[in-house]
Amino acid sequence: MEITKKVLKVTVNGRPYELLVKPKTTLLQLLRNELGLTGAKQSCMDNSCGACTVIIDNMAVKACSVLAMQVNGKQITTVEGLAKDGVLTPLQDAFLRHSAFQCGFCTPGKLMSATAMLQETPNPTEEEIRRDMEGNLCRCTGYKQYIEAIMEVAQKKEVSK
Amino acid sequence: MSEYSVVGKPLPRVDGLKKLSGQAKFTVDIVLPDMLYAKILRSPHPHARILSIDTSQAEALLGVAAVITGKDTQGIRYGFVDTPSFPAEERPMAEEKVRFIGESVVAVAAVDPDTAEDALDLIEVEYDPLPAVFDPEESMKDGAPQIHGEITRTTSCAWEDWGVARKSHSYTPINNVAGKVEFSYGDLNKGFAEADYIREDRFKSPATAHMAMEPHTIVASYDPLSGKLDVWLNHMAYEIKRYWLAKTLNMPNEKIRVHQTYVGGAFGGKAVIFDFEVIAAFLSRKLGRPVKLELTREEVFSTCRNSIRFDTTLKTGVKKDGTIIAQHAKVIVDAGAYKGSAAVAMYLSHAFNDSCFDRHNVLHEGVAAYTNKNFGFAKRGHGSPQMRFAFDSQIDMICEHLGLDPVEFMLKNCRKKGEVLPNGDRLDSYGLPKCIQGVADAIGWKEKRGKQKDKNRGMGIGVNGMFSGSGYWPFACSAIVRLNHNGTVTLMEGDVEFGQGPDTAYSQIVAETLGLPLEDVTLVAGDSELCPLNYSNFLSGGLFVGGGACYYAALDLRNKLLKAGSEFFKTAPEDLDMKNRAVFIKAKPQKSVPFGDLLRINIQKHLGDAMIGVGYKKAVPEIEFYPSLSKGTGRFTDAYSYAAAAAEVEVDRETGRVKVLKLAMADDCGNRINPAAVEGQMASQAVMGMGDALLEEVIDEHGRVINPTLVDYEIPRAFDVPEIILVDGCDWEPKGPYGGKEAGEVARAAVIPAIANAIHDAVGVRVFRVPITPERLLTALKNQGK
Repeated sequence: MEITKKVLKVTVNGRPYELLVKPKTTLLQLLRNELGLTGAKQSCMDNSCGACTVIIDNMAVKACSVLAMQVNGKQITTVEGLAKDGVLTPLQDAFLRHSAFQCGFCTPGKLMSATAMLQETPNPTEEEIRRDMEGNLCRCTGYKQYIEAIMEVAQKKEVSK
Repeated sequence: MSEYSVVGKPLPRVDGLKKLSGQAKFTVDIVLPDMLYAKILRSPHPHARILSIDTSQAEALLGVAAVITGKDTQGIRYGFVDTPSFPAEERPMAEEKVRFIGESVVAVAAVDPDTAEDALDLIEVEYDPLPAVFDPEESMKDGAPQIHGEITRTTSCAWEDWGVARKSHSYTPINNVAGKVEFSYGDLNKGFAEADYIREDRFKSPATAHMAMEPHTIVASYDPLSGKLDVWLNHMAYEIKRYWLAKTLNMPNEKIRVHQTYVGGAFGGKAVIFDFEVIAAFLSRKLGRPVKLELTREEVFSTCRNSIRFDTTLKTGVKKDGTIIAQHAKVIVDAGAYKGSAAVAMYLSHAFNDSCFDRHNVLHEGVAAYTNKNFGFAKRGHGSPQMRFAFDSQIDMICEHLGLDPVEFMLKNCRKKGEVLPNGDRLDSYGLPKCIQGVADAIGWKEKRGKQKDKNRGMGIGVNGMFSGSGYWPFACSAIVRLNHNGTVTLMEGDVEFGQGPDTAYSQIVAETLGLPLEDVTLVAGDSELCPLNYSNFLSGGLFVGGGACYYAALDLRNKLLKAGSEFFKTAPEDLDMKNRAVFIKAKPQKSVPFGDLLRINIQKHLGDAMIGVGYKKAVPEIEFYPSLSKGTGRFTDAYSYAAAAAEVEVDRETGRVKVLKLAMADDCGNRINPAAVEGQMASQAVMGMGDALLEEVIDEHGRVINPTLVDYEIPRAFDVPEIILVDGCDWEPKGPYGGKEAGEVARAAVIPAIANAIHDAVGVRVFRVPITPERLLTALKNQGK
């Protein structure tokens, strides 16, 4: 069966792309298989774990549940786009200092969810952080150290305000 | 204050930059040129004879490279337990019959996953369904369907290859018995006769999923020209995967290379060889092309190893003062279609228990029965989460009856530091009392236990003990530390990083020993071709055995540097020390010589001696091989770790929901090489244990897993997590590197009874089966009239 590919224009981590994609290709497949950006991970395959979270414009979205064609004309940020010029973002740095990851498989998804949250709500309470991170499953950390890492960044923002 | 400058510091993990930037490569990220994708057609029947398989249409589909069935892999056997008396019976694909829903029947390799999936739809398999059995007690009755005929081996068994002199022999399981253990010490009848109070209770623990975030995946790439197989896979020790790939494919061990990847979580669930791994490697060799096989989440839940289903009956006798005087444990394991590690788990449920409390007179009996279901393996604690749920719940009941305090009861029955256990293991370190006291103090036990019933709140406690490595092939670990020109070092050690933190802890051990900062250690790990003989990370021997090997390798290099330094300064090695890549005179620290200069001078003076440190550590020094699983005799480990957990919960009587308010966790890992990493392990196990106590169960109906997704199989999420208080319960282990021992899996088991006991403290009911779901708790509240 002939499948018609469509033209997709998208910006990923600041780079513009013009690509031919199959209609049923998901954003996650596009990132991982076509662009070689393997930071976003596939784990649950049913939109429940958050390991594939990326930022579309300013919103954290699970890339497994979005078709590539749906992001036409949009700005995508993946974990590979966080650190700039060899410098970690404050959130990445806090994750590092708080030992907020273990196996690291779900870490990119968490970083993207938390980055989007802190953009929208610069000074969340711990409860707000826990609620917001509901969609990101983790089996290694017990959530303790990375919630602390996000809290630290949130509080620093408050101080610098 | 620690006298160390690197060890004992919560330093950032050495795998951090890669993992935080998305650069860390996991097996799922590996893509090779010309790579094919494989998929597996699995049995829809719990028990059926295979009458015919027609693969012709699938083979004709454009893009399909190969289709294989059990005929292609006929006779290939493997398994975690492959001993002369109990040879392995697992196989990559079903041969004459299928024994559980999900067993591999046909495998396809194609140009992409969709084509492979389409090909599966074109395969026709004709089955003749057989009567199936799902309950272990039914399974052992006369007249039950027999799941296995004669189990035979056409090759040597693993333990023959690993040095056991006996030859394996065939056997036929009788009444579906997959394994038995029985061991005893003391005089059980005398013990019960001396008891003032005896009670018997029965507890059940289900299969739960490890739920590692990375789904099980392998990339296998066979090169027909060199006859070499390169693999990337989810593992916990390359030696065992490589051994079994070599054995099942009948290839030389050294022709297989396991490449380093990061592993997305394991928790025991990725240690053994799997059907799909043998299938992928087999397909790659057949086709001479790379093959990737990534399981779906549903396949992981319903066809990979989950934890082992335990039905535990405990009869315990105590004196009025709370001294345990006798215990008779009867364990029935619902093994599933293949025996997996059932016998090992039944043994460990005794051995770990024995390291905690002195029970004086003991009989431990276990029987595992084959059933037509998926089968199990170790999950973080291997047998002790099941036993601790039973025993620590029963301790709570005993204390209630005798009017004793569970914390005091536990402290009274603790073993003693320096004590030699009935099997010969000696407790050179024993932090259990410190852990028990630590969590009791941290949670406010004295003030609050039993005093919040009006608020439906309660407190409970649980404990656990765990080995630090045991006698399993290859019985020892080795490491190499290479001195580089600029005075930095390169550490080569085989353990794989799946989140538990060896990369960082081992680097810290080496840096400390050589007076270097952490960043001066470059690590080469997890690659079977670049690293020396490796032990494993699935027997909790990582820090103690693997880290021990690293310590001795660094010490060897240190001694070489001191010797070279003593020749340079014309002074005794004892007068020297090292720091900042240089050896210096202790009395005159300004007189120093850089490592790089010593390397150069040593090469000039000593026929090119390039200064390489070599170290090794045997898991259990005193024994040649391994303890008897069936008799429970023989040394088992060289160091036990301990943990205690105390929980505070609130029960909603209307809904049956339990909210965990607080968890206090204490660990005795000897000495915390990296405190942040150890705290991470403790928080991890606190939350995993919470899932075990309240949420998690792989549920099957007539052999079919009905909750094989993360939508239906709930694990704790960020918002469920209570306040977690971490308490240091360390007791320095003299045989461990810088006093360290196991930290990764001891604590999970303690959490489960802590929560169950807290529920009882809150509302006065006992649920004898985990998880304690709202439904079960409401039923218990109703039935127990509370």
